[in-house]
Amino acid sequence: MIRPKILQFDDGDGRSAGWLLLLLILYSLPLDTIAKEPISKDLPAAAVLNPAAELWRDVRQRDQPTTGSTQVRGVDSGVLINAYGDQWRKFRMQQLIPVGGYALMGIVIALAVFYLMRGKVPIEGSESDKKLPRYSTYERMIHWFMASIFLFLAITGLILLFGRPVLIPMLGKEAFSILASACKEGHNLIGPLFLFALILVFSQFVRRNIYQKGDLNWLLKGGGIVGKKHVSSNFFNMGEKTMFWMLVFVGAVIVISGLVLVFPLFGQGREWMELAHVGHAIGALLMIGVIIGHIYIGTIGMQGAIEGMKTGYCDLNWAKEHHDLWAGRAEERGEALSNEEVAQLTHNHPLPSSLGVRTQEAGK
Amino acid sequence: MARMKFYCDPERCIECNACVTACKNENEVPWGVNRRRVVTINDGEEGERSLSVACMHCSDAPCATVCPVDCFYTTQDGVVLHDKDICIGCGYCFYACPFGAPQFPEDGAFATRGKMDKCTFCAGGPEADNSSDEQRKYGSNRLAEGKLPLCAEMCSTKALLAGDADTIADIYRKRIINRSASVMARGVSYRDASFRAPYSAAGKSSAKE
Repeated sequence: MIRPKILQFDDGDGRSAGWLLLLLILYSLPLDTIAKEPISKDLPAAAVLNPAAELWRDVRQRDQPTTGSTQVRGVDSGVLINAYGDQWRKFRMQQLIPVGGYALMGIVIALAVFYLMRGKVPIEGSESDKKLPRYSTYERMIHWFMASIFLFLAITGLILLFGRPVLIPMLGKEAFSILASACKEGHNLIGPLFLFALILVFSQFVRRNIYQKGDLNWLLKGGGIVGKKHVSSNFFNMGEKTMFWMLVFVGAVIVISGLVLVFPLFGQGREWMELAHVGHAIGALLMIGVIIGHIYIGTIGMQGAIEGMKTGYCDLNWAKEHHDLWAGRAEERGEALSNEEVAQLTHNHPLPSSLGVRTQEAGK
Repeated sequence: MARMKFYCDPERCIECNACVTACKNENEVPWGVNRRRVVTINDGEEGERSLSVACMHCSDAPCATVCPVDCFYTTQDGVVLHDKDICIGCGYCFYACPFGAPQFPEDGAFATRGKMDKCTFCAGGPEADNSSDEQRKYGSNRLAEGKLPLCAEMCSTKALLAGDADTIADIYRKRIINRSASVMARGVSYRDASFRAPYSAAGKSSAKE
C-alpha cells in the first residue's frame, strides 16, 4: 500500500527511484548488519534517519541542557525534558526508602541487642545525697524546644517517607491521605522553627563543645562502651561534642535544603529541589539515627543521665563517673548542694541566676 | 483496549498556542496553572522547532511511582489520572516528571503548593463522569462523551495528535514516509533537508529582501 504512494514522487530521471530502492533494501536488512557496514557518502539516508534527530538528542539532555522559549511563564517552563528527574526517582525509590528504612531498623535492633547484653548502665557509687547544678532553666528550655520540634519533624517526615509502603496497607489510602496531609502541612509550618532552635542551642552550648585534649583518648577507648571502665571527660564528652557538631553541620544542611524545598518561590528549578531533597533526606535520616542513640542513653541506657536536663541538677556520683573533670572543678567551687536544698530550689524557686552563670562557664 | 497518547509533530507545529488556550478554557484551570505549554527550541534561528507538551500519560509513570500517598491510577484507556482527594500537594511528582506536567496552585502552608493539577487527557477524574464535582476538580471529561482532548481537536495544523497510540503512530508513519519521499524528489540529501521551505524560496516568503 505504501510503495505506490512513494513512487509518485519519482522525478522521472530514475535517480530518486534508485535511492528509494536502495533505501528499501537497506531497511530490509537486519539492523546490526547496517551498523557494521561502512556507510557510503552517497547514502546519507541510512546514516541520519531523521534530520531533527540531533536536536531531539540535545533536548533529551544527553550532552547538555537545551532549553527553549515558551509563552507560559514559570521556572523551567522552557525545559522540554528534565532527565535528572529520573535519577531522583531512582534515588528515592531504590536507595532512600529501602536503605534508609533498613538502616533505621538496624539502629533500633542494634540498640536493643546492646541493651540486652549490657543492660542499664548504673551509677556505680549509687546515687549520692548531693547534686550538682548542670543546666540552667534557659538551657533546658531551649533543649526541649529543639527536642520537641525535632521529634515532630522526624515523625512527620518519617510518615511521609515510609507511609506508602508501611501505613497505606494498614490504614487505606483515604485515611492515610488525611494523616499525610496533616504531616505535610505541619512539617512545612514547623520546619522553619528548627533553624531558630538550632541557632539558640548553638550559641548557648558551643563553648563547652569545643574539642579538647583528652577527647581523642575518649574516642580511642570507645567512650567506655567496650569494657566497664569510665573514660575521663569534661562537661561534655567526646561523643556528646560530636553529636553537637553533627547537629550543627548536618542540621544546617537539613535547614538550608528544607528552606529550598518549602519556599519554591525564588526561582529555584526542579534540579535544585531534587538536590535539596536528597540532602534533606540523607541528613535527616542520619540525625534521626544519632538522636535515637541520644534518646536511648537518656532514657533506658543510663541511670541518672536525663536528670540534668529534667531538673537542672545531676547526681554528684553520676557527674564524677561520667564527667569527672567538670565534676571535680564544680565540687571544688562548692557548687554541690544537698538533696534537700535542691528539692527546695526546684519546687519553690527557680535556679539562682548566679548558679546558672557559673554552670555555663564551667566548660572552660 | 486503546492506549491513549499525545503526539506533537514538530514539523507542523507553528507555535500558535491555541492548544494552551483551548485547554485552559475547556478545563477552567486555576490561575497560574498551565496544563499544556508550547516550547520553541532555537527560537528565531535556523532549525527552529516548536512542540506542544503536557502530561504524556506514560505507561510506567514516574509520578505514580514516587507519590507518597499513591494517588495516581491509570484508566483502561491508558490515561494517567490522579485523585485530588488523596493528593497532599507535596510536589514529588513534579520532581520526578521529565516533562514538567504536574502544576501546583498557590495553596497550603505558606501558600506554596496546593493539590496537584495536570492534564487529564480531557478524561476528568475518579468522580462520576461529567458530575459537577468532577468538573470543578478536574475540568472537562470529553472522553466519556466520545470526544478527544480539545487541544488536539483544535490544532489548526494537526501537529498535535491525540488518540489511540496505534492510530496516531500510523498517521505519523505515513507523514514521515511522505516527507522522506518529498525530500528525495527534491534531490537534496536527507541530512541537509529541511521540510520547511527556506526563507529565500521564491514566492513562498512574506519577507521582502
